[in-house]
Formats: sequence, C-alpha cells, structure tokens
Amino acid sequence: MTNTLAGRLAVNASVPVQASRWPARLDLAQSISGLLLALFMWGHMLFVSSILISQDAMWTITKLFEGYFFFGRSYPGIVAVIIALVFGLFILHAGLALRKFPANYRQYALFRHHMRGMKHEDTTLWYWQVMTGFALFFLATAHLWWMLTHPGNIGPFASADRVWGDNFWILYLFLLFAVELHGGIGLYRLAVKWGVFEGDDPAASRRKLRTVKWTITAFLIVLGLATLAAYVKIGMAHEDQRGERYTPAWVEHPEEHAP
Amino acid sequence: MRIVYSDVLVIGGGLAGLRVAIGVRRRGFDPLVLSLVPPKRSHSVAAQGGMQASLGNVIKGDGDNEDVHFEDTVRGSDWGADQQVVRMFVNTAPKAVRELAAWGVPWSRVRRGDREVIINGQKVTLTERDEAHGLIAQRDFGGTKKWRTCYASDGTGHSMLFAMGDRAIAEGIPVLERTEALALIHDGRRCHGAVVRDLITGELAACVARATVVATGGAGRLYRVTTNAVINEGIGHALALETGVAALGNMEAVQFHPTGIFPAGILVTEGCRGDGGLLRDAEGHRFMPDYEPEKKELASRDVVSRRMEEHIKKGHAHKSRFGEHLWLDITLLGRAHIERNLREVKDICRYFLGLDPADKWIPVRPAQHYTMGGVRTDHTGQNPSLAGLFAAGESACWDMHGFNRLGGNSVAETVVAGMIVGEFVADYCEGAELEVSTGLVREFIAREQAYLDGLCSGGGKEDPSALRVAMQEIMTAKVGIFRDGGDLAAAVEELRELYVRSNGIVVASRAAGANPELVTAYRTQKMLRLALTVAGGALARTESRGAHFRADYPQRNDQQWLKRTLATWPNPEADLPTLSYEPLDVMTMELPPGWRGYGARNQIEHPDTERRAQQVAEVRERLSGEGRFAVQEALMPYEQLLPESIRGRNERLGEKLP
Amino acid sequence: MTASTDVRRLRIHVLRYNPAEPEKAARIQTYELDEAEGMTLFIVLSELREKHDPSLQFDFVCRAGVCGSCGMVVNGQPGLACRTLTAELPADITLAPLPTFELIGDLSVNTGKWMREMTERLEAWVHAKQQEVDLRRHEEHMDPDLADEVYELDRCIECGCCVAACGTAHMRTDFVGAVGLNKVARFSLDPRDGRTDADMYELVGNDDGVFGCMSLLACNDLCPKELPLQSQIAYLRRRMAKQA
Repeated sequence: MTNTLAGRLAVNASVPVQASRWPARLDLAQSISGLLLALFMWGHMLFVSSILISQDAMWTITKLFEGYFFFGRSYPGIVAVIIALVFGLFILHAGLALRKFPANYRQYALFRHHMRGMKHEDTTLWYWQVMTGFALFFLATAHLWWMLTHPGNIGPFASADRVWGDNFWILYLFLLFAVELHGGIGLYRLAVKWGVFEGDDPAASRRKLRTVKWTITAFLIVLGLATLAAYVKIGMAHEDQRGERYTPAWVEHPEEHAP
Repeated sequence: MRIVYSDVLVIGGGLAGLRVAIGVRRRGFDPLVLSLVPPKRSHSVAAQGGMQASLGNVIKGDGDNEDVHFEDTVRGSDWGADQQVVRMFVNTAPKAVRELAAWGVPWSRVRRGDREVIINGQKVTLTERDEAHGLIAQRDFGGTKKWRTCYASDGTGHSMLFAMGDRAIAEGIPVLERTEALALIHDGRRCHGAVVRDLITGELAACVARATVVATGGAGRLYRVTTNAVINEGIGHALALETGVAALGNMEAVQFHPTGIFPAGILVTEGCRGDGGLLRDAEGHRFMPDYEPEKKELASRDVVSRRMEEHIKKGHAHKSRFGEHLWLDITLLGRAHIERNLREVKDICRYFLGLDPADKWIPVRPAQHYTMGGVRTDHTGQNPSLAGLFAAGESACWDMHGFNRLGGNSVAETVVAGMIVGEFVADYCEGAELEVSTGLVREFIAREQAYLDGLCSGGGKEDPSALRVAMQEIMTAKVGIFRDGGDLAAAVEELRELYVRSNGIVVASRAAGANPELVTAYRTQKMLRLALTVAGGALARTESRGAHFRADYPQRNDQQWLKRTLATWPNPEADLPTLSYEPLDVMTMELPPGWRGYGARNQIEHPDTERRAQQVAEVRERLSGEGRFAVQEALMPYEQLLPESIRGRNERLGEKLP
Repeated sequence: MTASTDVRRLRIHVLRYNPAEPEKAARIQTYELDEAEGMTLFIVLSELREKHDPSLQFDFVCRAGVCGSCGMVVNGQPGLACRTLTAELPADITLAPLPTFELIGDLSVNTGKWMREMTERLEAWVHAKQQEVDLRRHEEHMDPDLADEVYELDRCIECGCCVAACGTAHMRTDFVGAVGLNKVARFSLDPRDGRTDADMYELVGNDDGVFGCMSLLACNDLCPKELPLQSQIAYLRRRMAKQA
C-alpha cells in the first residue's frame, strides 16, 4: 500500500517509487486480445465459408449459434452478445495498439525511410500491420456495428442479400485483405515476441513460422474470396426475393422470423 | 583557456588505464580518463587467448604456482626483465583474475571428469578433479611449463574490458572520450597534466592533475604489418619522450606474433596452437619439431616467429600473389571445438579470408604484435626523472617483459599494473598537492596551438600520409624479426631524413572540427621520433636477446648487454634520440641468467653469473626443508614492494590458506 | 595482378556532412577506385582518405571486427565496415552514418556516448551480493555451462547496429534497444549479480524498455556478433510480464 500511496504523492519524477506494473499489463492485454481476435477470425472464416459446402451447412451453423438446436427456436440475441464481446475486444485491442502507432508525421516518415532503405521483411511487415490495423478501425467498425444492430440477419439468403443487395461486398473485399494480413502478421509476431515455438534453433523455427504464416494467410484469402463470390452469386440469384429467409427442405416447421 | 582539474589524469581508457582510475577512485581521489575512442573500443578488447595467472585449477596446471610463473616469465624475457617486478606481478595475477571474476568476467570454468584434448598432434584424455569443478579453467600457451592461461572462450580481452569498463561506469569515473593528449605539461621536475585536443570539435584545453598516468598501449603502427589496432601509434610513449626528461626503456624490444593472418596481419590467437594447432609449410610438413624438438609450436613467440621466417627463407613458404606465407592448421581440433572455443578465429577467417578453419588451413606469417619497451618507471609505476608521471600496461617499461613477452602475460600485466600502480598513484596524491602556475599551463597550450597552426599554414609541401607509409615500410623491412648492422644503420639514416622532412609537413584540408588530416600530421612527427628510438636502440645493441635478434651478433651477450636501454630526447632541435644504459644486477637475481629451455643456447656469460648461481644453489640447498616461500624470501625479498592491500599468498587446490 | 579488364571499378557514394560546418549542406559524394582482392571497406575508406580526400571522417580501431567502432549503413543495412568485403557488394556502394546516434561528421557517429548513457540508465554492471571479496581465496564456483551461457550474451560489442536497425529506436529516441535489453538479460543470468526480476523490472519494465520492443527483429538479423537477441528479448519479456 505504501507504494501506491507513494505513487500518488510523488508528482516529482525524481522521487523514487516502484515502477508501475501497467506497462506489463498493457503489453499482455494487447497480445491476448490480439490472439483472441485472430483465433475468432479463423473460426469466423470457417463458419462463413461453410456456404461453400452447402446452404444447409451454413444455415445449420447459424442456427447453432442462435441456440435453435438447444431451445427449439432462434435467439439472435445470443449472437448479439457474442458480437458485443468481440466488438469490445476489438476496441480494447485497437486502443492498446495505438500505443505503437507513429505519434506524428516525423515518426512516420523516419520509419518509412528506414524501412525502404533496409529492406528487412519483418520491419516491412510491421508497416503493413499498422496500415491494415488503421484500415480496420473503420472497416471492422462498420461491419461490427451493422451486425450488432442486425444480429438476426445472418443466413444463406440474409447474408447474401447484404453482400450483394446492400453492396457490402465492397467493404468485405477490403476487410478480407486487411483482416487476413493483419491477423497473420500479428500471430507470427506474437510467436516471436513471446518466444513460443522457438525450439532448439530459433532461427530455423522462425523461418518455418514465416512459411506457415504466409501459407495460412494465402489459404484464408483464397477461401475468403471464394466465400465472398459464393454469397455474391447467391445474392444475385436471390435479388428478386430479398428479405426472404432460407429454410432447409428437411426442416418441417419453418420458424417465424424473430420479431 | 579551458582548464579541467582532477586528482589523477589517466591517458588511455584500456584495461590498465581503467584499473588505475578505479584504484584511485576507491582511495577517494578524482580520476579523469582521456580516451581516443570509447574505452570499450580500446585495443585490450582484441586480446583473444587469455590471461596468465597460476591458479592451477585444471589437471595440467596442477603444481603450478608463482614460482613456476616467475621462472617462465624471466626465461621468456631472456633475462631482460626486472625480477622483482616479475615477482610482484606473478603474485598479484591470481588476485587480478579473481577480482575480475567478481566483477563479472565469464571465465570459462573447469568441468569435472574426462575430456579429450589435442596435445602434440595426438588425442589425449584428461580427467579433471571433482573439487576443481566450477573453478576458473586454464589453457596451454607458448613458453609456459604449466597450463596457466585463464580465458573466456576466445574473447578474453573483450570480456575483461567490458567488465572493467562497466565497473568504471559503476564507480562514476568520468571519461573524456575522443580526446587526445598532445603534450605533457611539466616544469622539468614534475608533471602537471596534459594539453588535450577534442577530436570532435578540434579545441584545445588543459587537463591539470596531481598525477598523470600514461596507459596508452603499444606502438604497433610504427610498422606496416601489425596485429595492432589503428590507434596504437605509440603517442603515449612519444608524449613522455618529448618532455626531454623522461626516458623510454628498451624500445628496440619489439615482439612479432607468429600467427598474423596473411596478408592483413589480423591476429589469430596463440590459443590455436595452445589448443593443439600446428604450423605447416608449403608441402604440408609440420616443421617446428625440426627446430624446437622440446616446445615445438609452443616455444616463446620470438623463437617461433624467428623459426618461421627462417623456414620461409629456406624456400618452404607457400607462394601467393601477395607474397610468401606458411599455414596454421587447426582442422585437427574438430569443428565442435573451433565453434565453441575459437569462434573469433572462425569469424576472422570467414570475414577476412573467406575460409572455414575447420576445413582449411589458415595462411599466416609473423606480424608486429607487442611493444615491450615503454615509459621507464620504477616498481611503483612512477618515472624516476619526472615526478607525478606514471605509466602502466603496454606503454610502460617497469620492466616485467624484458626482451620478450609471454603470451597471456599482456592482459594479465594491464590489470595487475593497474591494481599496483593505482595504489601507488593514490599514495603519491596523498603527499602531493596540485601546484601549477596557470602561466605554465598557458605557455604549453600556446605552444601546442602554435604548432598546429604552423602545420596548417607552413610553407612546406610534405604529405604526412606519405611520410608515415615510408616510415612503416622502413620499420617492417629493416627493423623487423631479423636485424643486422647494415640494415639498421640504413634504417636510422632514412628515418632521420623522414624526420627532418616532417618539419615541412603541410595540412591541405581546412575542415573545421577534428580535421583528420591534421591528426595524421601531428601524430606522424611523434611516431617518427619513436621509430628513431626503436631503430637507434636496435642498432646500438650488438647482441641478440629475446625478440631483438641481430644476425651479425647472434649470441646473447650478458657480459656487455645485461642492461636496459634508455632513450631520451633532451634537445627538441635534435634529430636523433640520446641513448644511455642502466645495468641489471645479476647478484640480486633470484633466477641467474642461463638457457631459456628453447631457442639458441650460446650466450656469453656475465662475470657475476656463476657466483650468483652458486649462491642461489646454496640457499636452495640450505632451505630445502623450509618450503618454497622461505627459499624465495631468502633469494630475493619483494613483498615489501607491493602495496599492502594486495599482499598475501594465493589459495590453490593444493595450497590451502589458513 | 589479373588482367585489368577483370578489375571492377567501384563507385563509393558517401553521405557527407560536417556539423562543424553547417553552412555546407549534406551531400552525396562519389569516389571511384579499382577493386583489389580481399578488399574490405576499411581498405577502401583508408585509401580514399590517404589518396583522395584527407577530410573524410570515419572510425576504425581494431579493423578485425571485434571493437565495434566502424558500424555504418552499407547499401541500406547497418553493419561493421571493417569486415565487409567489397566482393560481396555491387560496384555501387552507398555509405551513410548510423542513424539514431549523434553525428560527429560524415560516417563517424557518437555511439560511445549513447552506450555510456544506456549503461548508466540500466545499471548494466554486476551488482555484487557481497561487497568485499577476499582476493587471496578461491573464486566463487560457477557451473561451466552457465559460464558459457553468460559469455554468449557477454559477446555484445556495443557497435550500435541493432539500434540503427531498429524501427522502434528510429521513432522513439528513448528506447533502450536490443543492446540494452541484452545487457539486462546478461546480468539477470549471471549468478554473481544479486538483482531480482523485480529489480530488473524497475529498469526495463516500461515502454522505453522491453514493452516498447515491437519484435521487428532487425536487431537479431543484423547483429554482427549473431547474438540470440530474438530469444533473449522474448525471454526477458516473459519474465518481466510475470511481474504484472
């Protein structure tokens, strides 16, 4: 307690106080929030890409999240809660990451100049991490806000209508690249930053990590593009019945759309 | 006029200088260190192999002690050393290693049990004792009877200098980095500090102190091919010489290291041979056993270098487009050993030769390596003719190396001298107040400023770089490993001409700030003076001793030359130094002159040698039951010479302290 | 010499600026010279100063890659000039002083001052558990493997290449850099140093210390001594994060 007290009283910087533990907490929080978001995005990508398997598959996963198979009817509120959590995590992560952004043009220019001269991959990747992170402030916020306010509008037709009919495909195209690059670089950096997967030969492990990272990113971007194309295709075909909800043929009592 | 006051001005921020500064600080005085470069970049950093101290922790060092270290060092010096100083040194070296251990040097440690080593080209299994596990390890080095060289992998000098540098920072010792001393301020009797130049701004100032310590390292750059760093230009030696009062001792004693890489002259450590590496000729033949059947590659450096040059002269060298050289073969040590214990060697080979020493032989040829001569001091480190002027380390001649230094004794000397001289400097300060007239200081600054202005505006046309290169060529060609009267006389004459020409040096560049061309100019004239003391001393010494080898006088001549050369430059207008001699007293020697155990065996005896040898034999006989300390005490008492704080015996596995 | 047609003509572009002459703007000056076998940038620059331009400023001391004086930016990347062979570079070689350090002139920068400040700030020396050591007695025992591990981290030569290569250091001048973090790792590993993790946290537990590092790893990739900076900084980060 004395430390806290001393910390509160010591306005003069030369009065010795125990160093604040907050920098450690913030660094941990940034890493953990980033890790959770990246893992979430992997899951998210798998769920939405289920449309590539079939419309039934995508419908099933959506309903799973809405609690349909547990309660016998859908509660989009559950989805809203999940979105709210993710949104919160996103805001937290963005706030923490801001600490690392160039604070002014001078810093930005110094970094750019340095990066261009040195041509060092991990340094250049950081620049792209910052750029994509910046883009995500807006792209992800737009998407998250819309989903938070329309949690029930997820499904083979509902999503397709949004993607095509509401022109979200433009947003999603940018979002896809920004998320996958940012997340891929971020996960790789997390590994080297905390020294996980180092093994006996950290240099070799790092080379492997980088290969894995690029492979996953490429795979996810291809998967994302294919998924987006699938929704666009459905959306175009479904243009005339906008608003209609998808119901698999095997569902006997089509559910009322949640009020 | 800017004057900076301190108690002790230390010129040079290498191991010796920093240790002196720490010593005086701990006695309550304010030191100020001047350094041409950040201290951790000093040349001490380049010592790879290790530091001799008779700890005797490894099994091959069992039985080692101060007596053995003493005899090795005196034999190595070819009886040129001051034996009392050698005694002070060998007794303090273990303490120095232990002090550095406490300060953080990661000395390599003994591991209990069996290990495989290469000795004389053969694989041998050594078994280290349990009780030695975790103590500081030793390796083999040239010219030693026991394994005595303590090491931190092959970055010993680096680790020592960083521990020392960090210690100096911890003690809050101020360092004026990138500052150079131009002249010592003195009144003919006492030294009061130095005129210094800031190597960033080019401004002059005076650093005034009660005591001034020269710890500037060697003068390897007098030679074209040297292992020394580019800052080892002997400027500290020259500062003392230019006082006209202080003398330089034994400047003709210059060591050539057997294994400079060819042609760059960068050192690969003696540890290569100590760990079992071999020297081979163009045919791949291991030639050293032909010349030195007993010590082979591990005879002292002067002997190995001479044998190598001899072998080259017989036509056995490998001929490359840059000239002739021999080979150092460490492939037999195995990749694992090289990558663990000789990594700097591997890096040097990789970056400067583009080869992997685990697969290929290293091209080597002897290169200038060490300056045994230096500012003459007594055992306290103080110059006998200029009070308040001290010297320590390679730039000093107190004189523990005589005419040849053993590998591993140089970094050991730097720290030991720092410990001893630091105490004596503090003692001196206790009895000496700062007494200097600002008039004298002003006069010295004005003189130096006028000199620099003259270099920039003079009517001459001599290019300092060209003069310097010419000097280096003369030194390497004519004042090298094999010397003879004709060459030396020519060298002195040519150097004298260069020196006269150097009065016409002109600096073309008017760049503000440090002006590197001006730096080259004023240093070159200092170096020429120094080169003349080396060549002049070598010409006058008509015998062969240690590293000084005269083809026309191949014998060591104790009868006429058991004496130390003293060079002074009393008249600034003169173009040659003044030489005088200081005899060594055989009758007080603990180890009377004899055969070194390697090299030639044909000395001309001193008339006292036989009598002294008899006395020594009698004492040994009489006190044979009393133990080694009693014998030593009876032969040549020395402990009273050491500062009180570092007296005392050293604990070993076989020699417990009460 | 081989036939003259085989000899490359090197074009050395040097960023020139002398702060003592602020009226002369910074400029790139180009020198030309013939390449020789085994030529390093030490040989190149020495020759330029001896024969072409005696005012050219740069720093060399050991010229053997062990003292850390000659760090400079060679074709965009920081490295030790003395052990850089021209044969490994294109014929056009651009040399610039290390950024992030105070410029003395041309290729010479004041790394010494930076390193001393860093050492003072991080108290990068052994804080002995006991003050007085009896030098006549045996040194403290140390495990041979641990001694080797400490030596591994002790090999840093303070050349400043890691700082010059660090994007974080470019943006934030108070960042201690890999050199500083490695020092802390080195002394926490050393059993002779009595400081605990909590003590070390006081020194580097902030955004100018280990939490400022953004893991760009150019330090690790360009370190002339190939120090394991990536692992060491990660290890230090884990230990310091535990202090949270």
